[in-house]
Amino acid sequence: MSTRSLFVPDQTDLAILNALQDDLPLVSRPWNAIADRVGISEAEILSRMKRLEEAGIIRGISPVLESRHLGLHAATLVALHVPEDRIQDIAAIIGSCPEVSHNFQRDHYYSLWFTIAAKNGDGIRKVLDEILKRTGIPDSDVLDLPTVNKIKIDVRFAFLPAQSGVDT
Amino acid sequence: MDPTDIHLLRELERGLPFVPAPFEEIGDRLGLSGDDVVARIRRLKEAGVIRKFRARIDQRKMGICANALVAWKPARDGEVDTGNLLAAFPQVTHCYERKPVPGRWEYTLYTVHHGYSREKVVDEVKAVAETIQCPDYTILFSTREFKRVPNVRMQENGGSS
Repeated sequence: MSTRSLFVPDQTDLAILNALQDDLPLVSRPWNAIADRVGISEAEILSRMKRLEEAGIIRGISPVLESRHLGLHAATLVALHVPEDRIQDIAAIIGSCPEVSHNFQRDHYYSLWFTIAAKNGDGIRKVLDEILKRTGIPDSDVLDLPTVNKIKIDVRFAFLPAQSGVDT
Repeated sequence: MDPTDIHLLRELERGLPFVPAPFEEIGDRLGLSGDDVVARIRRLKEAGVIRKFRARIDQRKMGICANALVAWKPARDGEVDTGNLLAAFPQVTHCYERKPVPGRWEYTLYTVHHGYSREKVVDEVKAVAETIQCPDYTILFSTREFKRVPNVRMQENGGSS
C-alpha cells in the first residue's frame, strides 16, 4: 500500500485529489457527487480513487475528530536534542506510544519533534516521563511546549500539475 | 454520543469504502440504514465531534517534499493578533499557540507550511514574516517522518470518555 509507485497522476487525478480535500458531501452517493464536479463518471472516479490509494497517495477518507470531544483535553509538542546515531532507536521508542500521533526528525539542534495527546496534563507528563526514562534523555535536552490554543487546523494541499509525480 | 455513535466512528475511521453507496455499506456493518448513518454523521458534525470529512493524502508522494514547522516569537503579548494574522494565510495548514520554555525557547506560535521545494517554503515564510511584521522566527524542516497518524484514533486513544 505504501510502496513507492511509478504511477504519475494526471490532471483528472489532481482535480479529484483537490476535490477530496473539501468536506465530503453527505449524500447517499458522495463519489458520484464529486465525479459530477470533476466532470467524470462515478465508475471512473472510483477506479481512479482505488489507483490513488494503491499508490499510497490517498491514505483513506475519514472524519477528522475533535480531540476534546473524545476525552483528549491536553496536548503538547515535545522537542528533543538527540545525537544523530541514536535517532532511529529513540524514534522507535517514541513511536510505540499510542499517545504520540506525529513524530518527525527536523533539521535543527532539537532533532526529534513529536506530539502527545492525553486526558489531561498529568497524562501527558506520565507519557513524557516514561519516554525520557526509557531513552535517558536529560531534561536539559527537552523542550515541552504545551498547546495553549489551536488557532487553525486546515490541512489542504494545492496540487499543481507540473510538480506531481516527483519523488525523493 | 451514544454507543452506536462510537461504533460508527470506529467504522468510519477505517476509511469510507470506495463503492457507489459507501454510507449504506457502513450501515450494513452496524445494522443501520445508509440514511441513518448520514443523519448520525450530520449530528456528530453539528455537535463538533467531527470537524471535517476528507481524504488523508500523502503529500510527499505528490512531490510536496518540503514540510516545515515554523516557530514564531511575536512582539510582547502579541499572540492573539499575530496568531490570527498567521492563520489567515491560506497556505498555513496549522497554527497553534504554545507555552514557551522561558530562557531557552521563547517561541509561542507555530505554523506548518508545505511546498515543492525548501526554497519556495523559505520564500513563502519570509513573505509572511514581512507582511505581519514578525521578524523573529525559525524554520524547522522535517527530514524524516517516523510517525504520522490522526491525533484521535477511536481504537487506540479515543472513545474512552
